[in-house]
Amino acid sequence: MRLDRLPAAQAERYATLECPDFQTTLWVEGPPLRDRRVAIVSSAGLVVRGERPFRGREADFRVIPGDTRPDQLLCSHISINFDRTGFQEDWNVVYPLDRLNELAAEGVISSVAATHYSFMGAAEPAQMEASAREVAGRLKSDKVDAVILSPV
Amino acid sequence: MSALGHFIEEEGIATVAIALIRPQAERTRPPRALWVPFELGRPLGPPSDPEFQRRVILAALWLLERKDGPVLLVDFPDDDPREAADHSWHSPRTGGARGDLAAALEAEIAELAPAYRQSCAERGRTTVGLTSLTPTEAASYVAAWLRGPPPSASPVAELSPVLCLRFAVDDLKAYALEAAIAGGAKPSSKQLGDWLWNDSAIGAAVRALRVQLMASDDERAKLIGTMFMVPGVRAAS
Repeated sequence: MRLDRLPAAQAERYATLECPDFQTTLWVEGPPLRDRRVAIVSSAGLVVRGERPFRGREADFRVIPGDTRPDQLLCSHISINFDRTGFQEDWNVVYPLDRLNELAAEGVISSVAATHYSFMGAAEPAQMEASAREVAGRLKSDKVDAVILSPV
Repeated sequence: MSALGHFIEEEGIATVAIALIRPQAERTRPPRALWVPFELGRPLGPPSDPEFQRRVILAALWLLERKDGPVLLVDFPDDDPREAADHSWHSPRTGGARGDLAAALEAEIAELAPAYRQSCAERGRTTVGLTSLTPTEAASYVAAWLRGPPPSASPVAELSPVLCLRFAVDDLKAYALEAAIAGGAKPSSKQLGDWLWNDSAIGAAVRALRVQLMASDDERAKLIGTMFMVPGVRAAS
């Protein structure tokens, strides 16, 4: 988002949003991209149709099986202050699974994870920690070694 | 989002974040991030543009090959071409807001049904469905709130009346906006929002509902009216 194109007060709000303070940043190395197995972790509050939508600022996560069809994925993010028309037209705007599958078919990446995950990004970061670590464990079980974090 | 990156990386998996708000990524300092200049809600940029989306995702994924972090924060150079208006797009033709807003809302849901069905067929999907209600049922429920008094029972067992209202409104917005993209034109989000919030009966009904809920004695209803009915930039207009 280009903050310089927003009204000053709105830009200021986004620029000064409260953020967690991480003292250090870890750095995990891995194989070349062509050998990576990639998963999507979204913070769009995505849920598979029929599952419980996110409510309030819930800090847990939802599982999105890799064979979930576009018709089955809904957005239940608590905020109404972001565009949803892009996702409504094309799920890849938020959940780029088709793009990842194309890259895997071309050999740019090795493979796409069997399962992807969604959080509701307005949750308190500290409260998401336990869920994030659980998701990491599940990703490791799926032999995932690269995650693309997709916000809204 | 950046916080999730820290936690997952700490568990031993390399991450790359797409960042929509650059100052947030600057302060949170995830190991690798690609800032994109697109509007909130569009991390991959334009819908129905696989080539552009591919460039975005590759720009992010290639950061995994870099050895010079942490921290990497790289800017994607190009704007979303779909931010430009498509003047070939026409808003849905409905009776719009008139007289009794509850009745106008219900009428508009029926008027939009052919375009909604066409749009679903064209995209092979719908994002309507946070409640188990059909659009007609959701409109009836929202209309009941508008007519008052607030319904004491929810039509969806697992949702309280006011939470069901929130999700029913989300579903009706999605229904209307999906109907509005039938036909293959490429409207910007601003064009779609201008129609929904300025010209449609649904938009007028949700605006009225917001005012009604904000005056409620029920704190949850007040919160939902204030925060989850009308986007902030639209509420002011």
